[in-house]
Amino acid sequence: MPSHVYLHVPFCRMKCSYCDFYSVTDLASARIEAVITGMEAELTQWSSNGLAGVVETVYFGGGTPTVITGGLVRLVRSALEHFPVRAGAEVTVEANPDSVSVQLIDALAAAGVTRVSVGVQSFNSTELAVLGRVHTVDEAKAACSAVHATGLELSIDLMCGIPGQAAASWVETLEQALRSGADHISVYPLTLEPGTALDVAVSTGLVQEPDPDIAAEQMMIAEEVFAAAGIPRYEIANYARPGHESRHNLAYWTGRPYVGIGPAAHGMLDIETARHTGMVHGPGPNVGRVRYGNPADIDEWLLGRATEIELLTRSEVLREDVMLGLRLVRGVPHGAVVAADLVDVLISLEESGLVERILNSGLPVVEEGVVPSMRWRTTRRGWLLGNEVFERVWTGE
Amino acid sequence: MTDPRHIRNFSIIAHIDHGKSTLADRMLQLTHTVQDRDMKEQMLDSMDIERERGITIKAQAVRVLYEADDGVTYQLNLIDTPGHVDFTYEVSRSLQACEGCLLVVDAAQGVEAQTVANALMAMNAHLEIIPLINKIDLPAADPERVRHEIEEVLAVPAEDAVLTSGKTGEGVREALEMIVRKVPAPSGDPDAPLTALIFDSYFDAYRGVVALIRVIDGSIRKGTKIRMMATNTVTEVEEVGVRRPANIPMDELTVGEVGYLITGLKDPALVKVGDTVTLAHHGAEEPLPGYREVKPMVFTGLFPIDGDQYPELRDALDKLTLNDPALIYEPESSHALGFGFRCGFLGLLHMEVIKERLEREFDLDLLATAPSVEYHVYRTNGEVLEIHSPQDMPDAGSIDRVEEPYLRATVLVPPDFVGAVMELSEERRGTFRDMQYLSKTTVEMHYEIPLSELIMDYFDQLKSRTRGYATLDYEVIGFQESDLVKLDVLLAGKPVDALSFIVHKDKAFSRGKILTEKLREIIPRQMFDVPIQAAIGGRILARETVKAKRKDVLAKCYGGDISRKRKLLEKQKKGKKRMKNVGLVEVPQEAFMAILKVDE
Repeated sequence: MPSHVYLHVPFCRMKCSYCDFYSVTDLASARIEAVITGMEAELTQWSSNGLAGVVETVYFGGGTPTVITGGLVRLVRSALEHFPVRAGAEVTVEANPDSVSVQLIDALAAAGVTRVSVGVQSFNSTELAVLGRVHTVDEAKAACSAVHATGLELSIDLMCGIPGQAAASWVETLEQALRSGADHISVYPLTLEPGTALDVAVSTGLVQEPDPDIAAEQMMIAEEVFAAAGIPRYEIANYARPGHESRHNLAYWTGRPYVGIGPAAHGMLDIETARHTGMVHGPGPNVGRVRYGNPADIDEWLLGRATEIELLTRSEVLREDVMLGLRLVRGVPHGAVVAADLVDVLISLEESGLVERILNSGLPVVEEGVVPSMRWRTTRRGWLLGNEVFERVWTGE
Repeated sequence: MTDPRHIRNFSIIAHIDHGKSTLADRMLQLTHTVQDRDMKEQMLDSMDIERERGITIKAQAVRVLYEADDGVTYQLNLIDTPGHVDFTYEVSRSLQACEGCLLVVDAAQGVEAQTVANALMAMNAHLEIIPLINKIDLPAADPERVRHEIEEVLAVPAEDAVLTSGKTGEGVREALEMIVRKVPAPSGDPDAPLTALIFDSYFDAYRGVVALIRVIDGSIRKGTKIRMMATNTVTEVEEVGVRRPANIPMDELTVGEVGYLITGLKDPALVKVGDTVTLAHHGAEEPLPGYREVKPMVFTGLFPIDGDQYPELRDALDKLTLNDPALIYEPESSHALGFGFRCGFLGLLHMEVIKERLEREFDLDLLATAPSVEYHVYRTNGEVLEIHSPQDMPDAGSIDRVEEPYLRATVLVPPDFVGAVMELSEERRGTFRDMQYLSKTTVEMHYEIPLSELIMDYFDQLKSRTRGYATLDYEVIGFQESDLVKLDVLLAGKPVDALSFIVHKDKAFSRGKILTEKLREIIPRQMFDVPIQAAIGGRILARETVKAKRKDVLAKCYGGDISRKRKLLEKQKKGKKRMKNVGLVEVPQEAFMAILKVDE
């Protein structure tokens, strides 16, 4: 049975210019009510199928979950009723600074939330404007303080590679992030997603194209600044004080099954669970993993339309695990690489300086050949050129 | 035998896109040659590419029976000709098989360059020309203006030009009546020894080469021992028949008739377009006039992206040449691209069509190098080389002189654009010959221009600089000496033979510079810096660098992203597979064509 649950709250006050995640800005109360009720029905479905047991992590993402305030508190309660958590579990809510209040944080904490991930993106107001964020720098700082003051774990998201983002401004943002009291920080280079407002602005010349070289430089600086502050990288885009890594996200990267609930939510199930839900019917013996996605449209999702389903073969599962594992600083065990038949690929990537062999201790392997308990890890250069690594691992060529 | 008085042989000629094939469709319908339920568009264009692009590549001959207003049923043989300047020779042979032609002119576009060129060919073949103003259903149709143009530009009387619409079928019957009334009946001698003109051929997997023929004198029947005069091939007739449009065997083809001939010959090289078929014993003394060897004009290297597909490419070329003897090929090897073939084509369209057919019909992934022409290299030791590839150009030191093919290009353009055409043609080493006003709206300009310049983007540029108005026709006039050098391109310090090209000395620097800039845009950033250099001999003319890529990562990868990103990676991988690894550098296919896009 899955030990991880993701709930997608598809509402935002405004669409940010770069975002292509599914959300709507129609915040009419009837609409919100319909979605919450629909999600509760989905939760009940899992319970009545006997597939909702005690879980380790629950994550409310979006969209902007905090934009529906009271509705979110109710949703947290419902979710934790159907999927009770054990003591010390991680229950995260994504929040945007403009919709965070001390009262809401208190109410969420009371309902069982342990961790808040605040979408700060930048501590520079010009950059926020380019991104089409609706909040101010002061609101971001206030939101961080509110979470910190309540004693909940604080994670913040930052973005580099923003057009016009100067080196000094980036360092300032990094320092503000450290001062915010966050024990977990994510750093994403801005990606132009086709069809977004930012993509249009760049292609029409209104906004300068993000420069990948500058973003690379900024990612390197982030790593140095955070490491010096005791917050090392643990995944390509994620940094945490030891012990504060996101357990929910680690589940994604280590191939653990998870339930996805709500419009546009995705889930990944082991084959037995998938069969039990009726999502798949007796697939061939070679299927190792089932990924599904709910319709990215509230009305279609409410109609209970068929979700998109992807079956991964056993060998695909093994390759996917190595691909995801190489996102992590701790890397993947050599055994997993052998099982996935990827030794050749990794040796070739090693020759390009994109991966390296390490010992369990994290120190590099100096001997030739295979060492017991050896692992493979992406190098610093490899972090920046991750697609090269992931593409070759996934395609096995 | 059909009384020759009741036979009419005609073709339809037109500028590309003026509605020739649709008109032919309507004629097949009106004469019930094809049942409505079997009708498909461009009936006579059998290749997918012909239908999609709306062009005719192979000639066709179809017999229709038409009951005319005088109550007599006539045998009309419609010969559909290719509509592109690449196939001028084929067109001229098809016209030779006729006594008349329908000259189709678009009611909105009016007379264009190939209208003129085709009309001139028809006149040279002494054909009765029946002007036909087509597409009169178009809102922009202006038949009066076009009628005027036909008279003024072509000196073809057009007062009783037939007004037609291939779309609605209007005027098609009138066109058939005109053919019956105006096109002369064939006038051969039924008792003379057989002479028949081969005006096209195709290959049938079961029957061998099928020739389309027009009987000029005498007759031909099953069992007749025949001789192809140009190739001096003696064989026996296995079958003759007519196409309606499927093959219908007949006892014989007699004077004036058009049909097909099967001999069992398997080698298309023995059955040549333009050749004369006569009797093996006591045949005609003289062949019909006008035969010539078709020589390819444009050459390119075709390489399989996946080297393992080399044998498949060879087999595919083998098969295509059966139907298209104008296509030639020989093995070529390149350090950069591996094993492939140097292929010769009649022109750029022919080249594109063949490449597309190879990819589609044979499922090959091909890389084409920039097209080149034939150069005649006179070496200081007296040796003369005909080279088809820049790679084969000998050391500059051993060359006395180089000659390249020149064309006489005819451009038809409205007067406003005369300046633009002059500017472009001079940039491309064209020499102005003369120009004349054909009418108030049309100027005819003549240039002598190297073919190598024309196969750059001359035609595209001509179209864009004249807002699409200019039309172009050309003929080869021979080889002339030019000051030519070989320009090499180096990637990451290594010369890439497949990127070399031959260029006029005065243009070497500017083309080299623009090409390196273009390549810098086309070649994606790699894991390391890639210098791009243009050089003549050892001398570097220009240099650009593709900086190593530093960042390429899909940083966000949570629950819902995983499937999506995997698909993105797969797509990226596929994109790379379409690239060619030249040393360690991944080079996209378009790089090899970049030289064609060098706009100065």
